[in-house]
Amino acid sequence: MTRAQKLNVVGFAALIVLLFAFPYLGTSGYQVSLASTVLIAAILAATVNFLAGDGGMGSLGHGAIAAAAAYGAGWSSLQGHSITMQVVVAMGTGIVVTLAYGLLSMRTNGIYFLMVTLAVGMVIYGLAYRLSSVTRGENGITGIQRPEMLAEPWAFYLFVVASFLVVTLVLLVVSRSPFGAGLRGVRDSESRMRSLGYYVPAFKLVAFMISGTIASYAGLLSVWHTHFVSPSSAEVHRSVLLFVMVILGGLGTTLGPLVGATIVVLVENVVSNSMERWPTLLGVIFVLAILFARAGLVGSTAKLVRRMRQRRAGAGPDDAAELTDVPPTSGTTTSVRP
Amino acid sequence: MKSTTTSAHRRLGALMSLGAAAALVLAACAPASSSDPTTPASDPTTSDAAPSDDANGETPAGEGGTLKVGYISPITGNFAIAGQEMVDGWNLFWEINGSEAGGVTVETIVEDDAGNPELSLTKARKLVESDGVDVVVGPLLANTALATAAYTSSVGVPNLHPVAAADDLTQREANDLTLRTGSMSGSQMNYPGGVWAAEEGHKTAVTLCPDYAFGWESCAGFKQGFEQNGGEVVSQIWYPNGTSDFATYVSQIQAANADIAFVVTAGGAPGPDFLRSFMGLGLTDSQELVMNCCGMDQATLRALGDEVLGFKSISYWAEGRQSPVVEEFNNAYAERYEGKIPSANVAGGYMTASLVAKVLEENGLVTGEDLVAAIGDASFEDSVLGKVSWDEYNNTVGSVYIREVQERDGKLYNVPIREFNDVDQWLGLDPDEAMARETYSQSFQG
Amino acid sequence: MFEPVFLAQQALNGLSFGALLFLLASGLTLVFGLQRIVNLAHGAFYMLGGYIGIIIATMTGNLLLAAIVSMIAVGVTALVVELGLLRFVRGQEMPEVLLTIGVMFVVADLCLAFFGGDPKTLPAQASIQGAFQLGGLTYPWYRLFVIAVAVAVGIALALIQSKTRVGAVVRAGVDDREIISAMGVNISWVFTGMFVVGAALAALGGTIGSGVLSIRPGIQNDVLLYALVVIIIGGLGSIKGAAVGAVLIGVIDAFAKAWIPEFAYFTIFAPMALVLVFRPTGLFGRTA
Repeated sequence: MTRAQKLNVVGFAALIVLLFAFPYLGTSGYQVSLASTVLIAAILAATVNFLAGDGGMGSLGHGAIAAAAAYGAGWSSLQGHSITMQVVVAMGTGIVVTLAYGLLSMRTNGIYFLMVTLAVGMVIYGLAYRLSSVTRGENGITGIQRPEMLAEPWAFYLFVVASFLVVTLVLLVVSRSPFGAGLRGVRDSESRMRSLGYYVPAFKLVAFMISGTIASYAGLLSVWHTHFVSPSSAEVHRSVLLFVMVILGGLGTTLGPLVGATIVVLVENVVSNSMERWPTLLGVIFVLAILFARAGLVGSTAKLVRRMRQRRAGAGPDDAAELTDVPPTSGTTTSVRP
Repeated sequence: MKSTTTSAHRRLGALMSLGAAAALVLAACAPASSSDPTTPASDPTTSDAAPSDDANGETPAGEGGTLKVGYISPITGNFAIAGQEMVDGWNLFWEINGSEAGGVTVETIVEDDAGNPELSLTKARKLVESDGVDVVVGPLLANTALATAAYTSSVGVPNLHPVAAADDLTQREANDLTLRTGSMSGSQMNYPGGVWAAEEGHKTAVTLCPDYAFGWESCAGFKQGFEQNGGEVVSQIWYPNGTSDFATYVSQIQAANADIAFVVTAGGAPGPDFLRSFMGLGLTDSQELVMNCCGMDQATLRALGDEVLGFKSISYWAEGRQSPVVEEFNNAYAERYEGKIPSANVAGGYMTASLVAKVLEENGLVTGEDLVAAIGDASFEDSVLGKVSWDEYNNTVGSVYIREVQERDGKLYNVPIREFNDVDQWLGLDPDEAMARETYSQSFQG
Repeated sequence: MFEPVFLAQQALNGLSFGALLFLLASGLTLVFGLQRIVNLAHGAFYMLGGYIGIIIATMTGNLLLAAIVSMIAVGVTALVVELGLLRFVRGQEMPEVLLTIGVMFVVADLCLAFFGGDPKTLPAQASIQGAFQLGGLTYPWYRLFVIAVAVAVGIALALIQSKTRVGAVVRAGVDDREIISAMGVNISWVFTGMFVVGAALAALGGTIGSGVLSIRPGIQNDVLLYALVVIIIGGLGSIKGAAVGAVLIGVIDAFAKAWIPEFAYFTIFAPMALVLVFRPTGLFGRTA
């Protein structure tokens, strides 16, 4: 293990300790609740990150998948089902919706994929808004309870922290598995994978299902957090913000989603207290990130550190995924602007 | 190289599983500070406002103490104009009358929720748990209002609603801490419109309402008023939320061939969009039309100008009503906001402020359920909304006006041509009977 | 619901809505055809164009002038976005698209700051008043005018594409970017030009469209949705496809609202889903 890797592990350990200690540091209930919001958003962003980083599939529909699951829980709670049943219905709804997404999009790639997910997401939003006999229309569904053992805000927070860690771990494992390698193969060159005998759409569908299932889980967590769901959770704006989080944090990095989610949620919830034009600020931050920190905050920092170290100790590995257009003809990733 | 990377990742993995396990252990022991969400953080070491507290201490607050108000409204996003108006109405009152009532200083913290219920909820939490407000006012939209009310009532903080119209806020989900202070419920405000239409001699009606709770409630109110007085609603058309091209619906209204058309929008663009199509098809003179509060509000008047002269609508707010209270309010608003005329949203915010001021003057500083109870006992002989009082479900009982757009000094006003007084939310039923019925929908209209 | 007058009216409603859809989708599809980027700020350009058009129309009462000024103003905005931002990420699909998202945020929020949140529509004096009468059929002139504008724009775009040197360069650029550089044409400026034209078309759509649908905060998303659906059906990059898609959606939408109101929303998306399943590149799109 090199010194850098040791540093990495120590950093992660410190982060985990900090996450768990957070409610014990004299923080108010509001701050703990805000932290839950950040982590749930980070889980959702991680699913987008996985799909875009490893699979090269930029999705603008994940907010809607999470919302579908949340609606599942809401509808089920209106029927007076038990909590277990609510979880089943929520995850079921999320997975069915994910499957619909996957089937519609698995034959497309690049920009077409983006547009299909965008359009399907808008359909989900429309359904939430207009299928009012099930969704109660704009008013949304209120009074959805979480399991009793998670009723206390701090207990729920710790549960969310654990969920975040498990999700990060699962995505890391999938990404390092042979399946993950195949997925990156598809990302880099579909035609090469095809000629190697892989059935490409199946790869994409499976990746989408993994990502969508976790997104559904995040939807369930968010409904447990806020106790209600309404069409605005399915808005395209939400999905776009997820993408913003991923890009800000750094596409393909493990901690990128957490960093991105923290920034976006804080701008939305805290900066908005004192700055009226915060949507503009968000847009400007996003544009600047794409122009000047293409690898995101995490990626760019890592790169900077690496470059400084390389200057001292010669060449080293450079395997951070970058936000680049992958030309179908070459397997190498194009480098970012100098 | 590759293998060390993988092993590092394996270590990370182990670390995270360990972390996840730790969560379960930790879940058994509660942190002291966050076990009670209703107590605002008061630990002096963590409070970032500590130094400024001393500065505040030098300027004495009203001897009766301070009422801290958290005001949530969408100031950015798609509902920004309505949200800003709701805030302006509230501020206007305190600017005119000073921010002290009955010796109590009223301090307001405004928060933006961008019309997003998740954000409303976070902001409500922040206001209650970090700022320690005594009362939450707003937000504007039905979904944000219902979400916020569920939270505030769970932590024992009163929640006043200047604009939100959802029936259930003061019916099936009514509670001791949630009040509608500056508007009426959807069915309540349109019921007298149906009565009026029937009394005008119209025999048949066609309705066009948005296909969700507000539309169902509004149409149900009109339909019951109309049919209880001998009219018949021959066709009910529902448009999906977010409709922008109304031409096909106008064609359907024309095809229905009814004596009067009743059209509902929740405010914003659908009002002008509908009227553009309606006037475009040349129906202005041939089809009698009455709209609801929000379809013919000042935003529509500003968008369409003289073209809407003579159009009729039903609302609890009439900016053209001859009353010293309304005139004072209109003038004060016009003076501060570029000659604009206040909409129902401004009136709702202003009304809520007048109510809070009145309660403080009569009772001194009251909070929690006492504040709600005091509001329940309050009444106005003439407010900006006319004669108003509150029923035991914390809803307004007040006047509904049939209005006509008229020009006065080069400006357009909705002027009342008929007034219904003491309108409550039960549409002629008793409360239990009304709430035992199913919720309004396309298929159930009462 | 089946009387001849009602049917004729609905057909016209569908056609005029389709015409508006074509105006908003044509610019988007053109830009995609050449540059392979989907300009997600298109809806925001439509919105900005609409606001500017309404202001000029209110001041002068002249719709033509309003349209020209708004096309120029939005064109200049697009030029700044192109030269100031997009050039730096040229040729990289994802960053280009994502940048346009950022631009959409900023433009939409600044529109709210400058123009306020009131819905705004074209003032009566700049609009075309009155209705066309034929037997029992009454139809507003303005909506017929929208159809005429869309037809004119469609024909003009088709002619420019097939008959002029500019069109030839663009077509060559769509097929093979290297060839065209080899021919001595500065492809970079062709891209910039096309981006500006696409934005100007959005502004034209916004100005003309503001007589039918009011311009308001949030319109940028609705417009984008409709435009995307139209060009997914028609095929990205195809003017013909945009025209067919727009009319198809417009007419289906009008009749569905009358005959099967409870499914009205899905009638827009059902054709899109069918197209995606059976022909992912759209009716007239070239295969990837």
